[in-house]
Amino acid sequence: MLERRNRRQRFLIVILVLVCILLVTFYSREGENGLLHRLQRFSMDVISPLQKGMSKVLSPVRNGIGFLVDLGRARGERDRLKEEVRQLEQRVHELEDMRRENEALRGMIEVKEAYPELEFLVVEVIGASPDAWEQTIIIGAGYDDGLQEYMAVLNEDGSLVGRIITCTARSSVVQLITDEKSAVGARLQRNAEMGILRGEGGGRVHLELLNLEADVRTGDVVITSGMGGTCPAGIPIGTVTEIGEKQADLSVGIVIQPRASMTRLDKVMVVVSPRPTSAPGVAEGGSGI
Amino acid sequence: MSATHRRLLFAVIILAALLLQVGVAGEISVGSVKPDILLTATICWALFEGPTRGALFGFWGGLLEDVFTTAVLGVGAFAKTLIGYFSGELRQRVVSKSVVWPMLIVFVATLLHELIKFAAWTMVGLEQRPPLNPGVVFGLALYNSVLTLAVYPLLGRFAGREEREMMFQ
Repeated sequence: MLERRNRRQRFLIVILVLVCILLVTFYSREGENGLLHRLQRFSMDVISPLQKGMSKVLSPVRNGIGFLVDLGRARGERDRLKEEVRQLEQRVHELEDMRRENEALRGMIEVKEAYPELEFLVVEVIGASPDAWEQTIIIGAGYDDGLQEYMAVLNEDGSLVGRIITCTARSSVVQLITDEKSAVGARLQRNAEMGILRGEGGGRVHLELLNLEADVRTGDVVITSGMGGTCPAGIPIGTVTEIGEKQADLSVGIVIQPRASMTRLDKVMVVVSPRPTSAPGVAEGGSGI
Repeated sequence: MSATHRRLLFAVIILAALLLQVGVAGEISVGSVKPDILLTATICWALFEGPTRGALFGFWGGLLEDVFTTAVLGVGAFAKTLIGYFSGELRQRVVSKSVVWPMLIVFVATLLHELIKFAAWTMVGLEQRPPLNPGVVFGLALYNSVLTLAVYPLLGRFAGREEREMMFQ
């Protein structure tokens, strides 16, 4: 009984499939004006008013679905735009860094042109002293790169930053001119009066002139004297900003504003030639180092 | 329910599915994916009624759809007949009251249906056949599966009592 039923089922399926194949064959072979094509066109004419009506009735549904689809797309678009903004912000930061670096390199080229007798090595600043009482920075070059102790270090616009006090194979420690132990031979640019520039810590430096009667004015530019054989002569250091009253020992407190910003150093220039001939002498306050 | 009543019900359901397909499916399309209500109804009907009635539902539904559209006459009927038959065969092997099974069957059957149609168009040598777009086919299978959540319980109400108790939760 079950077998007979199954056979009947299969027979029916074969018949239906054959009918389909015949229909497809006739439809494909007959022309556009064939019976089946005409039947199809007539049926479409009959159904089209219904489709129009349905379209009107269901337009709110269609709009609703469209709204939901658009909402999904809008969310995707929002996420994409957020990502784009993030990437653009990152790009802006990168470009800003590049602009700063470009400016620094331009400044360094100008410095090289201004001092043709000197040779420089541009070195990256890789750290600063963690000790609050020490005003030093660490740079990413050492003996292997041709550096040695007491070489002068300038910033990108050619102002004195300090001197190398410790040198290892691949890094060096630079004592900033603001360090309390720093002493550099200096003179006033206007009248060549000599003195020693000493750091006070906390970003301040002062000048001790050898001639206690020297003519010094606010705004005078202070440059390196070149005495002592470490710093080359004529490197700008800073400007006189304050002249105090004469003390009992007849000395005058002359406060200097360094030209280089000690807190914003990315790259520095080390004067590698001429090389320092010795440790800082008395004229440079050598005992201080 | 008498045999005449069942035949009448069969015809009414096919016509209703056909009207929904030609009149409504286009209005509820998501992007370029238009649901195949008639196919979903064929599969659900076959799951309740078995291979013979499934094949007949597919044949008549597919044929009428071909007549009322610009499709190659017979291709839709051919594909839906086969899908209706094999879905009905599955009913005799998979007995579950969960709606997840019908959804899964509709999903797979839709993929097969589109492949059969595409193969038929190729064999006929239809020059302007649409390209087989996997994204659209997958979307259609997904849409039909979701549609099953509504169609399956609805057709379950018209199924024979035994079938309803066996298949319908």
